[in-house]
Amino acid sequence: MRDIANVAVREMRMGFRNPWAYTFMALFTLFMFSLLVINAQDYVTGYSGASSTMLNLGLYLLPLMALMLGSFSLTGEKEDGNWELLTTYPLGTLSFLSGKYLGLAVVLLVIVAFGFGLSGAVGWLTGGGLEPVTYWHLLVFAICVSLFFLGAAMLIGTMARNRWQALTASVAVWFFLIIAWPSVLIAVLGMLPYPWIKPAVTVLTFLNPAELTRLYTIVQLGGGATLGPEYYEWVGWIRSVWGPPVFWAIMLIWVSIAIMISYLVWERGRGRG
Amino acid sequence: MVIFRSHITRIISLLALMLASCALPGPAQVLAEQASADHTLQELLDRTEPGETIILPTGTYQGPITIRKPLTIRAEQEGSVILLGDGRQTTVTIEADGTTLSGIHIEDEAFKEEPAVLVTANRVLLDNLHIRTGAHGIAAREANEGTITGTTIVWAPQGIRMADKGNGIDLLKANGWRITSNVIRDVHDAIYLESSDDGIITDNVVENSRYGIHTMFSDRSSIERNVGRMNVTGAMVMTARHTSVKDNIFVKQSENVNSQGILLYDAHEIVVADNEVEGNRVGIYVEQSTGNVLEGNRVSSNFIGLQLVDASDNQIRANRFVGNVTDAQARGSEQNTIADNYWDSFEGIDADGDGKSDIAYAINPFFASVAQKRPAFQLFFQSPGMVFLESLYQSGKESWSRDASPLMAPPVGGPEAGQAEGDRSLTGWTGLVLLSCTIVLILMMRRRKA
Repeated sequence: MRDIANVAVREMRMGFRNPWAYTFMALFTLFMFSLLVINAQDYVTGYSGASSTMLNLGLYLLPLMALMLGSFSLTGEKEDGNWELLTTYPLGTLSFLSGKYLGLAVVLLVIVAFGFGLSGAVGWLTGGGLEPVTYWHLLVFAICVSLFFLGAAMLIGTMARNRWQALTASVAVWFFLIIAWPSVLIAVLGMLPYPWIKPAVTVLTFLNPAELTRLYTIVQLGGGATLGPEYYEWVGWIRSVWGPPVFWAIMLIWVSIAIMISYLVWERGRGRG
Repeated sequence: MVIFRSHITRIISLLALMLASCALPGPAQVLAEQASADHTLQELLDRTEPGETIILPTGTYQGPITIRKPLTIRAEQEGSVILLGDGRQTTVTIEADGTTLSGIHIEDEAFKEEPAVLVTANRVLLDNLHIRTGAHGIAAREANEGTITGTTIVWAPQGIRMADKGNGIDLLKANGWRITSNVIRDVHDAIYLESSDDGIITDNVVENSRYGIHTMFSDRSSIERNVGRMNVTGAMVMTARHTSVKDNIFVKQSENVNSQGILLYDAHEIVVADNEVEGNRVGIYVEQSTGNVLEGNRVSSNFIGLQLVDASDNQIRANRFVGNVTDAQARGSEQNTIADNYWDSFEGIDADGDGKSDIAYAINPFFASVAQKRPAFQLFFQSPGMVFLESLYQSGKESWSRDASPLMAPPVGGPEAGQAEGDRSLTGWTGLVLLSCTIVLILMMRRRKA
């Protein structure tokens, strides 16, 4: 436990010295600000044009940010020889990976919090901005997307040998999960017999954290009716008291599995090395 | 005679008020007396001559009653006369033309088939009633030219599915009714007209029901200045002609997968104008309808602003679409005249400076057709990948539903879309807290380094 904390604090220090983190912070803040300006006249409440745009632009930026920061941090350890040094210490791989995850999570959440904080405060001062509940749901959305994709980043960082591989893989994963997802699903699942489509879409949605978080947030914002009669029960369920804890549990499981797979792969590498 | 009586009534009620304020135990005695004399209300009605006015003293009366001759029945003091149902039959049955019933609370709370008030006569006036019902609130059957005004109808029994509830006002083959300034909540359809022409439905508030205002096989209705909130659908005009739907406000019809602000189905020559439609699943939905005019409506913050399904020859102009998740969806609806609307998501080019874009706003049918063929893909509604895919799909663009001359700026006039009030400062303070936390954390990390 102490090891995890040590690694996490070290990661946070490195993270806050990393110009990349500040670049992303500036980018995310700029993006939150531009949305604020676009909706300067409107008071954003619930699932509407403005909050839908925020969700989508968040989905463009946050996963890419999490994937790159996370995977670069891990491959950096390999490339710069830090990991070789760390192996001489009595430090378990799982503690190392968990510590990395926690430290990076803090860095990411600081970036998100800074962007949301500034836009929330400025929006309020300039008389526009977001209704508190909507603001809260969008903040939770940004946090969840970041944490989910940081899990995926641990996997990529483990598999990739260097930063270049990590970059390529990050962009590929991002493109597949965010941009190509509906196209691929419509093309592939369109060939399945009709009754199989909905279960297939449901199962695959659980594998894509971007879709999962987006849908969860839309339902929480009161837009569940857009999903149509096929998902009526899901919508009711997500809106019940059980919705949030189960969603957070799913996220915990998802990230744990990602870290466990990373651990196994990393361990295999360690054994050979 | 009636005027004379009403003078006397006023004096009597004043005296009664003074008496009541002097001697507090009074009302309880009055109640007790009347309870013992309950069975006499029908007898009283039967004794009264046609055309006379009955002023009911404050108290609780036991129904059911049947009005067989034209009478005017008022409460001595508005809201102080309570008429109880027997839990099986209709509480008030009106069989005489020209009857007036006013200021009475009707409590008919048992869940049953028979309506609380049943009208089978012409030119009946129901005024200032307060009805708690477990069936239809007011039903009119083959009764014409009645008026319902200032009346509140609320569903009483708990735990009944919406599909099993009764309607607030239910007209069947009842022409020329005026339904104005009523408040109806928690029922099946708040106001339902079937095969009832020339209805005037104005200034009502309809909430938390299935359909707020529902007309079927009913022509020449005017539905104006009503307010609908949180219903499955605000106003539904089905299989009807020559109806006007104007200046209504329909907000937050968004909880149900079939929700919409205004729905036209198999409706023809309907004018839908100057309505405010905000925060619904679909703002205005038009299916299999022709020859309608949709004009000057303010459609804002809906999930889908305008949805057209197999609709043709409609005119859709000078509407304002602002802040909708997606402005419009259209399927099989190429033959409509869509022009001069304002779509806030559309960036036009206005070279000749006439305030209208020179390039058309075309409604991409891709998602609508995908979701229609395989509803499971409805999940991709406005997902980033879907928005991307739609932008790639441009084939057959000539045949899409399109606004040939979209406005560059929203049309002036009419009130701005209502803004929901919330505690904005909470967002501001949350923002400041988040901001200061991050700055402290960053500084902490830096200081160690220094």
